[in-house]
Amino acid sequence: MATADSGLKPLQNAMKMAKTAIQLDGENKHKEAYCEYLRTINYISHALLEEAASQKEKEMVAVEVERMLRLAEQCLERAKSFIGKNVDPPDLHASSSSSSSSSSSTTAAAAVASSSSEPHQTTAAPTNTVPAADSPVEQKSSSPTKTGHRRVLSDGGGELSPFLPPEVFQRLQTVASQDTSKKELTPIEEASRLNQKLKATYEARLARLTPGQAYQKTSLTLSLQRQMMENLIIAKARQDALQRKMEERRLRLQEEANRRFAASGAMTAEEQEQRVLYANVLEYEQDHDWPKQWKANMKKNPDITLVSDLVSYLLSRSDHPVVKLLRKHQYRIYNRLYPIVSKGLPQSPNMPLRPSRSIHNLLRPETQRKPISSFSTDSSLSPSHSHELNTNCDEEEAEEPQTQPTVDRENSFEDLEQFLTQLDWAPPHSGTDETGSDSEPTGDPSTQDESHVQELENKALKEHLKAIVKDIHIAIEQLLSLCLLSFECLNTASYKDLCLASIEEAFFPPLWSAIVTLFRKVHREREQAFETGMKLYRDASPRDVGVPSKLFPPDLIALQGSYPYESAVQELKLLVQDCCPQRKLECIVRTLRLICACAEEYRCLHEADSSPKTAAIGADDLLPILSFVALRCQCPQLVSECAALGEFIHEGYLIGEEGYCLTSMQSALAYVESLQTAGTHLPAHKLV
Amino acid sequence: MAAAAAAAAASGGHSGKTYSFKVVLLGEGCVGKTSLVLRYCENKFNDKHITTLQASFLTKKLNITGKRVNLAIWDTAGQERFHALGPIYYRDSNGAILVYDVTDEDSFQKVKNWVKELRKMLGNEICLCIVGNKIDLDKDRHVSVEEAESYAESVGARHYHTSAKLNKGIEELFLDLCKRMMETAQAEERIKGNGSSQSASSRRGVQIVDDEPQATPAGGCCSSG
Repeated sequence: MATADSGLKPLQNAMKMAKTAIQLDGENKHKEAYCEYLRTINYISHALLEEAASQKEKEMVAVEVERMLRLAEQCLERAKSFIGKNVDPPDLHASSSSSSSSSSSTTAAAAVASSSSEPHQTTAAPTNTVPAADSPVEQKSSSPTKTGHRRVLSDGGGELSPFLPPEVFQRLQTVASQDTSKKELTPIEEASRLNQKLKATYEARLARLTPGQAYQKTSLTLSLQRQMMENLIIAKARQDALQRKMEERRLRLQEEANRRFAASGAMTAEEQEQRVLYANVLEYEQDHDWPKQWKANMKKNPDITLVSDLVSYLLSRSDHPVVKLLRKHQYRIYNRLYPIVSKGLPQSPNMPLRPSRSIHNLLRPETQRKPISSFSTDSSLSPSHSHELNTNCDEEEAEEPQTQPTVDRENSFEDLEQFLTQLDWAPPHSGTDETGSDSEPTGDPSTQDESHVQELENKALKEHLKAIVKDIHIAIEQLLSLCLLSFECLNTASYKDLCLASIEEAFFPPLWSAIVTLFRKVHREREQAFETGMKLYRDASPRDVGVPSKLFPPDLIALQGSYPYESAVQELKLLVQDCCPQRKLECIVRTLRLICACAEEYRCLHEADSSPKTAAIGADDLLPILSFVALRCQCPQLVSECAALGEFIHEGYLIGEEGYCLTSMQSALAYVESLQTAGTHLPAHKLV
Repeated sequence: MAAAAAAAAASGGHSGKTYSFKVVLLGEGCVGKTSLVLRYCENKFNDKHITTLQASFLTKKLNITGKRVNLAIWDTAGQERFHALGPIYYRDSNGAILVYDVTDEDSFQKVKNWVKELRKMLGNEICLCIVGNKIDLDKDRHVSVEEAESYAESVGARHYHTSAKLNKGIEELFLDLCKRMMETAQAEERIKGNGSSQSASSRRGVQIVDDEPQATPAGGCCSSG
């Protein structure tokens, strides 16, 4: 985009763009603002896509990605609001002004050609990009940052519904697919391209005519119309013929698929679906050569590295039925997750004030004051709670707790602005999970009812979780079986595992944050217990959690800023950044291995000549150390992450090293959770 | 989940090629279970790889009567405060080795508690081994051989005496356990193969029988079924 300088980080760029949009919005330049919002969204999705596509180097932190997505969501809300405002899409204004000069007789031709809107866009684009290019936001960023204090109420820290609506999720999926594969044009599309060219030459010629040559002008117009019409009719005929042929082929292939499954008469819906999918695969293979080539290669040289190459190639072909099915399942699951995870946390019903809603209300100037009042009624319902919230937020916010919004015209984008400034202000490593977690229910009489409602809600959430986990398993199974149907050569035990791993690696990343959010909602109490234990033992030494003294350095003070097992702690902290269960498991395994390596090193400090056999670390030593590492990791989310991993770990890994490490991790976490009750029995010096 | 994983372990055997067994190691802090298992997997530790999980998690590949067996040995923490988390360790286990110190009466009591818990949670599916370790310190013995053996028999477990220090009885212990786990898996396969007509009762029968006779006669009876 015009404003994207390469030196800046994507988030900063996106914020710059959004600020420009807000400014335009403020100046009532609806059309430009609309475009700029869209451009921001476009930029964000592009940046994230690039990030996601290049798995190797993770430049962006999870927090940053989450913020980008939230920013995009807010921009989208604003952009949506313009649709309600102007009946005509803003695009048309620009194009109509430019085309109105040409004669009215071309409108029919224009309508014919309008199956693709490209000419409009090209005329509209220059006028739109100008404001974006020459009003970079310098003057914006200086003073108004102060408005950041306003976020206090409406924002629950990290819980501002960071999730894209399912429609956007789906659109992102398809954008991704368009990136990877350039589709061939249909005859109609081709014709309309051709017609656009015709029209362009017609306009050029027309411009060269002198005003006196009216006759030539009419004839040119007529011939243009005729040509365009003809092109379209021919294209239509070709398209029909093509479609008929495709239909015939489809039927033929479907029969072939049916033969292959040659089951008894009664078919379940799943079998039916599988047949259709298999027919799609056959159809795809008629149109593409690469599956045949790969199959031949595999036959010639069956090699395990070839298998993963094949699967990753397959998954990069966005028009292959396997990939289509993958996207369909992802969308389905996201669609199920979204309504649950986009809602606020169950404990504090009045906290998740959705900013987008208030923006919606602010669309029309006459209702400008409304959201503000709804704001204050919301908080006045439970003043104690909102107060608590204030005190719970970081210090900067607490300095300026009064949220009396001054009614200026900037209020209309308060939330988006707020969001932006918040991004400006947020310290790079602010934990997103601190939010309202320690806001205990206040002592008002309604608490009992609330706790009952909460109980029901928790139960419902658990049910949802179970159902979604099951859906995910089914989805992955289906993907695997379609994969194996498409490439029979993959159907051996070891290849299948590889295949499954690749599928999961493609399947989980877009969904993980939503999945883990659901797990976090369900395991909220456990996370809170973990946090309490964590705070209680914040400065505990390894000895305090039962690590024998031979397994940590004798002189802790000499470590200077570091602490024992720090490398393992750092490793474990990376766990939340991965988006695929398998990778997370590997992270846990690495953590435990690092623990063993550290322990070995520390033991050598104590006894130089001990024989390694008797001294090797068993679970008796490992678990206390792991508990210490979990405490130092300071990440309650681990509880939910591990619970999710427990659901998605492969059966084959269950009894192996991965399974052992996950189990150990889970018990260490559970031990930390139990510290809050055990804490009362501990001698005071251990509580620090 | 538990059922699925158990099935996975059994299905390894179904192919007739490789059995995968999970064995948990239970025992109080100082009974020497770590040394025991390290002794057993010693070869692995001679080329001390720093990347392993040392004695907490070990694997061993065996070949028993022509069948390949992969053993995954899970050590557990003996400390009381981690006991609540036992179940997640021993779920889906095919076998359990419960170690006590022959010089420590208390550690034997702990073993009894575990046996109760395991039987309660996993039924008779799991092969139990009760192991009196440190027989090199026999002069300080506080748990009598008779008591331990009769207790083991009463709960359908087998009893072994070992010394990690002298490398005594360990090989036999694991070999025996593997054979028993194979029998259990084979019995399970048969039941699956025959459909669900003969259900848990017959499975249990096999389990109890295999307390007495050794692998070969049991195998003979298997082939007829």
